[in-house]
Amino acid sequence: MKIKINILAIALGASAVLSSCNLNETPYGFYAEDNFYKTAADAEAAVNYAYGCMTFLEYSRSVFFLGDMPSDALTAKSDASKDNQDLDKWKIADFSQNGTLENFFKYSYIGINRSNAVIKKIPECSFDQELKDQYLGEAYFLRAYNYFNLVRNFGLVPMQYSVVETLDQTSAPLADNLDRVYDLILGDCRRAADLMGSYGAPRMGRADRVAAQALAAKAYLYVASAKEHGVKLYRDMTRDTEQMYDSAAYFADRVVNGQNVYHFDSSLLDIYDVEKPDGPEHIFLMAMDRSGTSEGEYSKISKMFIPYIDGATIYLRQGDSESFIPSHDGWGEYQTTAVFYNSFDENDLRKKHLICDKVYNASGEVMAKYPDNFQYPFSRKYIDPQFSGDKTSTRPFLIRFSDVALILAEAVGPTAEGYRLVNYIRNRAGLPDLTPGLDVNDFREAVYRERSFELSFEGDRMYDIRRFNRVSEIEAAKGMSENDVTFYPIPQAEINLNGSLR
Amino acid sequence: MKIINKPFVRTLLSVLLCIAAFSGHTTMAQTSLKTLTVSGVVTDENHEPLAGVSVAIDGTTNTGTITDIDGQYLLSGVSSGATLIFSYVGMESIGVEVNGRNRIDVTMTPNSTVLDEVVAIGYGSIRKSDVTGSVASVKPETLTNTPANSVENLLQGRAPGLSVNNPSQDPGASSTVRIRGASSLNGSNSPLIVVDGFPLGDAGDLKQVNPSDIVGIEILKDASASAIYGSRGANGVIMIKTRRAAEGKTVVTVRQQLTLSQKSTKLDLWRDPVLMATLNNEARINGGLDPLYVGKVSSTGIYYPSIDELMTTWDINTRWDELTLRDTPLSNNTTVSVSSSNEKTIFSLSANYYSEQGLYIKDDYRKYGYNLNVEHRIFNNFKVQARNILSRTERNDNSSLAYWRNPIFPVYDSEGNYYLTNANDFEHPLAISELRKKQSKSIDVISSGALIWDIIPGLVLTTQLNYKFGSSVSDSYYPMKYTEAGEFSGGQGNIGNWEGHNLVSETFANFNRDFGKHNLGAMLGYSYEYYMSRSSSMTSRGFVNESLGNENMSAGNPAQFSVSNSKEQTRLVSGMARINYSFDNRYLATVTFRADGSSKFGKNNKWAYFPSAAISWKAHQEEFIRNLGIFDELKPRLSYGVSGNQGISPYQTLSRYGSEKYFNNGAWVTTIGPGYVSGWTGQDGIYRVWSGIPNPDLKWESTSQFDLGLDLGFLNNRLRAGFDFYIKKTKDLLRQRNLALSSGYDKMWVNDGNIENRGVELSLDAIMLDTRDWRLSGTLILSHNRNKITNLGNSLTSGLITDPNTGMMFEYTGNNYEQYRDYINLLAIGQPINVFYGYKVDGIVQSLDEGIRAGLEGDYAMPGEFKYVDINGDGQITEADKTIIGNPNPDLQLSLQLNLGWRNWDLGIFFNGEFGKDVYNTKAFGEASNSPLRWTTDNPTDRYPSLRDGRQNMVSDWWVEDGSFIRIQDLTLGYTFNFKKSWICDKIRIYANVSNLYTFSGFKGYDPEVGLNGIYTGGYPRLRKWTFGVDFNF
Repeated sequence: MKIKINILAIALGASAVLSSCNLNETPYGFYAEDNFYKTAADAEAAVNYAYGCMTFLEYSRSVFFLGDMPSDALTAKSDASKDNQDLDKWKIADFSQNGTLENFFKYSYIGINRSNAVIKKIPECSFDQELKDQYLGEAYFLRAYNYFNLVRNFGLVPMQYSVVETLDQTSAPLADNLDRVYDLILGDCRRAADLMGSYGAPRMGRADRVAAQALAAKAYLYVASAKEHGVKLYRDMTRDTEQMYDSAAYFADRVVNGQNVYHFDSSLLDIYDVEKPDGPEHIFLMAMDRSGTSEGEYSKISKMFIPYIDGATIYLRQGDSESFIPSHDGWGEYQTTAVFYNSFDENDLRKKHLICDKVYNASGEVMAKYPDNFQYPFSRKYIDPQFSGDKTSTRPFLIRFSDVALILAEAVGPTAEGYRLVNYIRNRAGLPDLTPGLDVNDFREAVYRERSFELSFEGDRMYDIRRFNRVSEIEAAKGMSENDVTFYPIPQAEINLNGSLR
Repeated sequence: MKIINKPFVRTLLSVLLCIAAFSGHTTMAQTSLKTLTVSGVVTDENHEPLAGVSVAIDGTTNTGTITDIDGQYLLSGVSSGATLIFSYVGMESIGVEVNGRNRIDVTMTPNSTVLDEVVAIGYGSIRKSDVTGSVASVKPETLTNTPANSVENLLQGRAPGLSVNNPSQDPGASSTVRIRGASSLNGSNSPLIVVDGFPLGDAGDLKQVNPSDIVGIEILKDASASAIYGSRGANGVIMIKTRRAAEGKTVVTVRQQLTLSQKSTKLDLWRDPVLMATLNNEARINGGLDPLYVGKVSSTGIYYPSIDELMTTWDINTRWDELTLRDTPLSNNTTVSVSSSNEKTIFSLSANYYSEQGLYIKDDYRKYGYNLNVEHRIFNNFKVQARNILSRTERNDNSSLAYWRNPIFPVYDSEGNYYLTNANDFEHPLAISELRKKQSKSIDVISSGALIWDIIPGLVLTTQLNYKFGSSVSDSYYPMKYTEAGEFSGGQGNIGNWEGHNLVSETFANFNRDFGKHNLGAMLGYSYEYYMSRSSSMTSRGFVNESLGNENMSAGNPAQFSVSNSKEQTRLVSGMARINYSFDNRYLATVTFRADGSSKFGKNNKWAYFPSAAISWKAHQEEFIRNLGIFDELKPRLSYGVSGNQGISPYQTLSRYGSEKYFNNGAWVTTIGPGYVSGWTGQDGIYRVWSGIPNPDLKWESTSQFDLGLDLGFLNNRLRAGFDFYIKKTKDLLRQRNLALSSGYDKMWVNDGNIENRGVELSLDAIMLDTRDWRLSGTLILSHNRNKITNLGNSLTSGLITDPNTGMMFEYTGNNYEQYRDYINLLAIGQPINVFYGYKVDGIVQSLDEGIRAGLEGDYAMPGEFKYVDINGDGQITEADKTIIGNPNPDLQLSLQLNLGWRNWDLGIFFNGEFGKDVYNTKAFGEASNSPLRWTTDNPTDRYPSLRDGRQNMVSDWWVEDGSFIRIQDLTLGYTFNFKKSWICDKIRIYANVSNLYTFSGFKGYDPEVGLNGIYTGGYPRLRKWTFGVDFNF
């Protein structure tokens, strides 16, 4: 009996040992910290991942919903979603639950987190230093870009300085003041500009040193003019207004005069030709292509701008020529207001050639026109003649050379350089030179106005309005208090879930 | 013989008596001509005389006799070589050879089939009378008159506390199985299924095991019974025992079943195009649209005839249902089995061919199965067992065709091509049937080997190695015309491969011994389980030539190829122990313990421990109870224990990166980084859900269960009753919490939330009649379960919504229904799972004034609209007026099985029903049957709204119906021929069975048996199935 029990014990023990195992899991078929960030290719994939989240429809459509829709330039269609109607109509009561704002906020942080991952991991990799610097620079650029969008829309925001890897790290506290936010943005831009080189030619969807300098110029100018105009929180910043203008001028000058990859495009139509993403104006362009398989990879921005015209293929005249390019019609989500349409000079080519009040059929006959057959004249900055179904290569313009040129002009004021840049842009649009001899305020006012035409429908207008402290001059926001309009509220979902905001 | 149930034995014996009708001449030839008169006394073990014992002469038509009050009998005309058969309810039947004697006294012993049955309880078995937990046994014989792909399908209503739902009737469809309600929100709620000791996984689709091969089914319900399965025991356990071997001689059985199905109710289709068109026009006009049926080409390019035309010259009235549905789908089920044994070896072999036609044309399912069991005794105390199951299934899926297509559309156009209404018409059922490919094939192998060593008397060591392999291949092709996927991508082909391996090695020792009045049973064991599955899928799009379909995937456009693959593996290491102790065969106690270590758990919670304990008192063994003379069994039971649910997917506790594509340098490049898309959300599911932060604390859901039970037996166990009351509380529910937007992630798995089930179960078994010719027995089962969600975690991190009127916290669950652009089901604190949430409707608006007074606006205030109720009284109808409007969980499940036997005839009838459940009928309006009842100015009904295109229906109680039903689920009539040995065949049983014969219900749709969410979306009528079967025993 005893022997048998011993045998039993041995048998049980043996089978236990034989099949004992390690209960730790090792990932299969997906990447994780352990098996990634080893090579230069890994690093580039990680950098591209950080760019990629901007293309998702959760974010890419918001470029216009936040940048143009709340201004007097665009309005929403009557059966648009409540979220987008509210943005258009400045119905602030539900802004804290607004899904469009929530998505924009969230995807900015997704971009930040992905950048932070690169910033943390790349220094630990071992490959070519120049490549490392480039990738690291791009990550700093993207982090700055996303924080710049956040601070412009939401003011003081939670500050995530490092990649989030555990639950404890998901409750980032709000920045104490705007200086802290701009410390990060401006610091990142400078670091990015130092680290990166140039691609030698514009490269769609990727930033280089010029992009970082351009972003720095935009950010410095934003602080300078917002402080000058007494925008809430900006007026309390310790940074000096003139110094900010100087820095904006410095970085804008690096872009405009310090390199030769990017320059003015003499042809207005070419700037908006989807086949020319490497055109000289495109310092930073969102990367999208009609060959993608899901929205974001390809773009439907065109559908948002073009009105519904019976589901037909429409043809658009190329400037004054007799050639036409085809396009699908659209959903009419981003509708040009009559006020804005009428604010253009009659001779402004940016109205005549870039805003359509007529569409043609294949034989060049007028097929439909505004206001008889469709409700609003529409922007044709986003047209893809080679559209396939709803898929197009139309891309949001994130930083354009002309934008930086106008920043330089605004920063340096009514100098010869300032006049030269503004006049180039006006002449290109078929307009005469700007009235000479303006004082600095009138000159900046003129640039402000010029920007509204030049950068129309490019997701930029609202930020000019904000830094000039003129939000409450918008028709729908008239009479609202500074507290209501200066910044969007931090989304309620963030307040509910971020332990340090409660 | 012990495990074969009593009615079966009795049937066998009594039919032997009637054998003369068929083989009497052979029997007579063996009988001596000399006859005797035989008398005697029949007593029980205690020498008490037994009255009413049936005494019959084997193999004759002689009706025999019964014993009188003193147990005496007298029987004349008995041939001296005859055999007398003594039978009595609750006693073992005895056959005694006369051998020329005149006096034969007999002592009968109690039938051992009820209380001495052995039930499997996991890593061992126990006599039924010694069970301390809540274990229900199901007799498989009564189930298999109806063929089924998997046994779960047949378990509906067969055990208290067990609920089986078969919402889909497509061939090969699986069942939803629950034991004592739902105890998880995101994990599985299916019981663990264990086949011959091999834990296979979730119950619901045990297609690998032929139901005809099953000889025992045990349902382990309470924690005392299921906690031995630890982290997989929380949903209960179903133990399946398969056919092992015959006794002694070689037995060959052939079982053949042929099934014809028919729709049990009529289809709800437009048969009169004029009425259809008239109502369609009315709806469009009411909606401010131009009517369609005006004899013009519509804006979509289709010519719609005018009403006049339809009434006169229009001759197309296509009966799509007749073209796309089979009249009588056929199924076949053939099982051949051979078993044999000698002292050393027993074996059983069976083969099965099963085929099932779906209601839709070309919708087919086939299965080939093979099952071999061998047991060999190497030494007296050492035996080896092996079991192999092989099954192959083939499915051609052609279900869900548009049999409801508009009858004015022809099948073909003037050129003989399929007629399409426009380029985006993806509904043509015949085009899809002909050109779309959607097939899957699978192979499953279940193989087990066991060594069983009787080390010393009372100590048995079992070592079992189980392996399961499953592999499936799916093929599909969607042509560029006629299908949406094909049109979008220029033809789309896919090949998907999956394989899964499951290895379980277990070793356990069972000890059982009497020490005077003490009996001690103990089990100690160890188990290791490894599971791995991998899959790959390739999709090709943009085919230039479609003639090969997906046979040549490389013929697609290389730029549109897409491939994916995945693999997951898990390990589970467990130790388990059980002690059964009884004193004086009166007081019983059971203690179990299991420790599970799982690779799926977070690194801070790798090990889980599951204890349970039960006590029971065999009161009927007490002198004072026995003296009452009432109870054959009186056994209260009490148990408490903890079991778990490890419904976590692997790798949830690791950080995880995602991968996407980005257009860079003129080409698509792969991008990788933190956060991956774990799901989609928002209207139409267009927004991504980001996950990837690990939770190192993630663990199992833990269910503690209290059970109070009582087993009763009366009248020599002719009447038996079982009663159970339970409270089942589950905590640490696996849920996803929301993360701050600024974290860059949306969701993370956590253990947060509680759910509770409590209920009572009652079962009643009665043998009402058991004479030589007549047998009548019945089983009544009643189950009541009340499910309640008690906690959904932190309301902020869970993102719960608050009902403004009641303060109830909830979240939506299930689908957003297009018809309402809203969810219907809720998970709400204090409510059962899946309650319906929406508006209340108080009839139909009869005047604009009434509508406005009701708080309605615009078109919705017009006469003929739903009059929604302004619950919060703020004068408007808003989201704040929603409330709970229904509960899909039944209050009571009831079933009744009655078996009647007369001589060789057997008749079985089975009723199954559910009461007190609501069904959300999304087809309550807008269908052919109910549209004509609409509100009009001429018919100002308060019951139905007007027809109006463009009305946005809201989820409301108007659509909720009482889904209570009782169904004649099964009716079987059989006749058994018995033959003496001289004939080639021992026994033949022929029978006819009809399932779903009739359903009594007030529900207006096809059938109230819908999915557990209670939402009825149409489909097709429940099928009434006529089965004709014959069983041969050689």
